[in-house]
Amino acid sequence: MHFKLRAATKEDCKEISRMILELAVYEKMSDQVKISHEELERDGFCQNPFFECLVAEVHEEDKAKEGFTMVGYALYFYTYSTWKGRSVYLEDLYVMPEFRGKGIGKGLLGKVAEMGKKEQCVRLQLSVLEWNTPSRDFYAAKGALDLTDNEGWHFIRFDGQNLDNLANEAPKD
Amino acid sequence: MANFILRKAEPSDVSDIMRLIKELAKFEEMEEKVVLTEKDLLEDGFGDHPFYHCLVAEVPKVQSPEGYTVIGFAMYYFTYDPWIGKLLYLEDFYVMQEFRGLGIGSQILKVLSETAMKTRCSGMHFIVAENNTKSIEFYKRRGAADLSSAEGWRLFEIEKEDLLKMTAK
Repeated sequence: MHFKLRAATKEDCKEISRMILELAVYEKMSDQVKISHEELERDGFCQNPFFECLVAEVHEEDKAKEGFTMVGYALYFYTYSTWKGRSVYLEDLYVMPEFRGKGIGKGLLGKVAEMGKKEQCVRLQLSVLEWNTPSRDFYAAKGALDLTDNEGWHFIRFDGQNLDNLANEAPKD
Repeated sequence: MANFILRKAEPSDVSDIMRLIKELAKFEEMEEKVVLTEKDLLEDGFGDHPFYHCLVAEVPKVQSPEGYTVIGFAMYYFTYDPWIGKLLYLEDFYVMQEFRGLGIGSQILKVLSETAMKTRCSGMHFIVAENNTKSIEFYKRRGAADLSSAEGWRLFEIEKEDLLKMTAK
């Protein structure tokens, strides 16, 4: 099956939003999706975009049961390590179930690595859920190290009311 | 009581920032992993498209025996969560040992939270080493959630050599 990988355009955001929800369903966290294609359009296609996105498309004749030709995406952005410098962070990588096993996921990952290389990034980071063995195996096969296991790093988050409280205590200029 | 100010880092601060980065790495027992140079910091933080933003904490010269005035810093950048939108990611956060317990760290965290709110971020994320109990307690007291424990997220990394293998045709 032929597929095409290309940079997303603003017009692709509705399809990307559909797939974001599909991935969230797979990760058993669909109730946590709060933004729609509108925020993606605003935040990904402004003067200083907050993320970049690649999409995977198939031909009309190979389209999905429901009629979609956009079958996968990779959403990433650039981060910084005080130890090593420029990094790329792969936030989401998803291929619709019926299109897996055809090299689309590998292709998307490779393209993100290529974008990182262009920007002189020295590493790529991502996070995976503990129970998601297919994904953990996929990345391990590409040389990924589990830093939570090896080095004990934990992800911490401040949000909602807690973030608000902290901010309200900040000194006024 | 320490007299201190928090301000945006300037290009002239890079050697102080570099010194503090190395001190923090030493505290995390990973000093040998710092390969970044002052030149990288300058290019990457103060060029056309900065990869990071930095706040520094400064005290009057008279308060510091070694003569340093920059005694703490926080480096951050903006990331994106396809479920909730913009986030502020706190990459490094450090106050020199002799200046701890004076409210400088708390103040830095508060200013960062305000920045996050002002820029319409849905949250602030960062990582902590699991053996760093003091830092974990500091954050938990302020309402932070440990997503590795609570939701099972694990951080993965692919290093340059393997990245290059993936880009080779």
